[in-house]
Amino acid sequence: MHCPFYFIISMTMNHPYDDFPNLLFSNNTATATSTSSCVEQHDGIISLDMDWDCDFHDLIESMMSDKGATTESSPVLPCYHGQEGISNSSSTGLSMADELDHDVEADESKGLRLVHLLVAAADASIGADKTRELTRVLLAKLKDMTSTNDRTNMERLAAHFTNGLSKLHKEANVQRQYGPHQHPDVHDRVDVMLAFQMLQNMSPYINFGYLTATQAILEAVQYERRIHIVDYDITDGVQWPSLMQALVSRNTGPSAQHLRITALSRATNGKKSVAAVQEAGRRLTAFAESIGQPFSYHHCRMESDTFNPSSLKLVRGEAVVINCVLHLPRFSHQPPNSIISFLSEAKTLNPKLVTLVHEEVGLVGNQGFLYRFMDLLHQFSAIFDSLEAGPARGFVERVIFGPWVSGWLTRIAITAEVESFASWPLWLATNGFKPVEVSFANRCQAKLLLSLFNDGYGVEELGQNGLVLGWKSRRLVSASFWASCESSE
Amino acid sequence: MFHAKKPSSMNGSYENRAMCVQGDSGLVLTTDPKPRLRWTVELHDRFVDAVAQLGGPDKATPKTIMRVMGVKGLTLYHLKSHLQKFRLGKQPHKEYGDHSTKEGSRASVMDIQRNVASSSGMISRNMNEMQIEVQRRLHEQLEVQRHLQLRIEAQGKYMQSILERACQTLTGENMAAAAAVAGGGYKGNLESSSLSAAVGSSPHPLSFPLFQDLNIYGNTTEQVLDHHNFHHQNIENHYTGNNAAATNIYLGKRRPSPSFGNDVRKELLMWSDQDQDLSVNQPFDDEHRIQIQMATHISTDLDSLSENNRGKLLERLSPRRSPLAPMMNPNGGLIQGMNSPFG
Repeated sequence: MHCPFYFIISMTMNHPYDDFPNLLFSNNTATATSTSSCVEQHDGIISLDMDWDCDFHDLIESMMSDKGATTESSPVLPCYHGQEGISNSSSTGLSMADELDHDVEADESKGLRLVHLLVAAADASIGADKTRELTRVLLAKLKDMTSTNDRTNMERLAAHFTNGLSKLHKEANVQRQYGPHQHPDVHDRVDVMLAFQMLQNMSPYINFGYLTATQAILEAVQYERRIHIVDYDITDGVQWPSLMQALVSRNTGPSAQHLRITALSRATNGKKSVAAVQEAGRRLTAFAESIGQPFSYHHCRMESDTFNPSSLKLVRGEAVVINCVLHLPRFSHQPPNSIISFLSEAKTLNPKLVTLVHEEVGLVGNQGFLYRFMDLLHQFSAIFDSLEAGPARGFVERVIFGPWVSGWLTRIAITAEVESFASWPLWLATNGFKPVEVSFANRCQAKLLLSLFNDGYGVEELGQNGLVLGWKSRRLVSASFWASCESSE
Repeated sequence: MFHAKKPSSMNGSYENRAMCVQGDSGLVLTTDPKPRLRWTVELHDRFVDAVAQLGGPDKATPKTIMRVMGVKGLTLYHLKSHLQKFRLGKQPHKEYGDHSTKEGSRASVMDIQRNVASSSGMISRNMNEMQIEVQRRLHEQLEVQRHLQLRIEAQGKYMQSILERACQTLTGENMAAAAAVAGGGYKGNLESSSLSAAVGSSPHPLSFPLFQDLNIYGNTTEQVLDHHNFHHQNIENHYTGNNAAATNIYLGKRRPSPSFGNDVRKELLMWSDQDQDLSVNQPFDDEHRIQIQMATHISTDLDSLSENNRGKLLERLSPRRSPLAPMMNPNGGLIQGMNSPFG
């Protein structure tokens, strides 16, 4: 099978690495510019005589010069981090009163310092053995400076990243293994679900993916009598009630469309995931019954990472839809090979539609850990900023973001396993799938959804067959639609 | 032999001539100095068939059409001009049907209009079609809005059910005990969950007083209600006499909170006493619900914001504001319009 790795889409990345300093520089030109001793890095050894106020741009440049990334000259775009926080934490945009200016400055220089430290720690953590001590020192300092209860976004985010890096660091001393990661702070199921719900109210992140995919499905199967959806990762089944409701409302009487969902579970995710899939089935069945939607549910276990389509039960005359929603905070590891296998094999089912929803992170192929780390930092800064303030925000951050960040850090550190596709859409396009256009109604719905939340969100078109949710200049989630090249329209 | 025929009703702009004659081949020709071919319905039908046989107006050429039609007296000249008009006439339909193309479809309608400017009949037809198209889109947007609300609600109901279910499994015995203590504080398993820890322990002075005041695991239902009502009135003061604002908030900035199953605090309290309905829920028309939600969010926001920011926040909720982000909005023109008629 043609290996699609290492595609590099250079400028289609909306978050080119040279954008990264934009994240950090602010209007406030009072940033310390002392250049007495900048961070020098040779072979991963960072001088401990650091002047923490040195120009961050130089730091990036020196660290990146041998990584081949390009950096721009000092940009002056306003940074957006730190605008919304649990409290009304200061930022360049909002604060007007004089007495707050000092706090703004302090916040931002601290933010910069934190990023310095994080990047340095990340770099040190993958360095050769002699940097292990350095990593420990850096992480200790970070832990000292941050906490998940802090006032500003940057501090809290840095705390989560610090925790994630610490775990990586510890695990590096122990034999690394795949499989479900048991985080010491694993939260119980109720907390997770609560936090999940709250997250839906703070950001359109989750529902953008669900609703956009569902709308495309509805359009694709409009005239089908039987619909069969194969769901790669059903989570709690939250995507499907809205589909059922839509089906019920547009069909009356004998023209009811029959819906069948097959949810996959992967054995490597453990017994819990199997139980979750089964529970989702029960809930969905109950819901379907309550609204009168003909429905049946199946659970398909994947024993390994390869998907075998013959393990599905198929019914003649049904339209098959492949649903691959990958953007949710994942607590279990889903190696890209499993997804590739799933998509390739699923193609043989001749699906009417393939929906693909994924986060816009970790997608750049052939880049080193540090690049990916920064990309991740960038992504989560954007998400953090985009969340609406609310009383339960800290809770959501701890329950969902902490593990989410840790999971990602682990993923990108295991370089062999990282999703080094430039993008899933490209993979699909070159592996026998053709794009399916996004409808006007779908675009409308996306914009409407966004209007319910903070300003700063936007929807972009992704070619002809996709939509991307972004916050300010950062793409967050994209949804794209495909059909197999052989399927008849 | 030529038979003189009375001209039947005018067919578009082609002929204003008085007399038409029908030749041997069945073609109807006008008798003016420059004989023009009259495209009758039958002839046009044959033309359309031939074009279809040849794979559509883009693939067909006058020569091939002529061959396929096999009509004597039909010249390439006739066919060329008719085919061109046919192609242009078809274009608007194709664009409208395929409404998933980008906004350029509207531009191309304009192009078409320019191209056939000479043909006044076609202009009026295109204008009409454009109006219809615009109306159709507006209608579709309305539909989308309606559907979205229903879908969000369905999703919210589902989530509440799974949450309740998960909690029930966890706190079976505790719930039974708590239910017996009607109106008392709810002290279930949740007390030990990290939710209470997280919520209760936020040390910063600017963290939301709402949560700390509520101390949801200790308060009675009535206390919660009072709290809600108090804030509800607070908000009402801000929007006195400005019903339009409230309505707009509903339509333009409706918080999906209740529908996504958020007001978990309410849910938690409901479990402690299944029978006692929170009166907050009863007049649960959407507007009321929204104001409550906003109250819980906004009251605390307003308290902690500085003057400037409060002004900003209120401004966001005012009717004149368009909630849609201006960037990356190719349909901007159309969607903006959505706010005003429904406000």
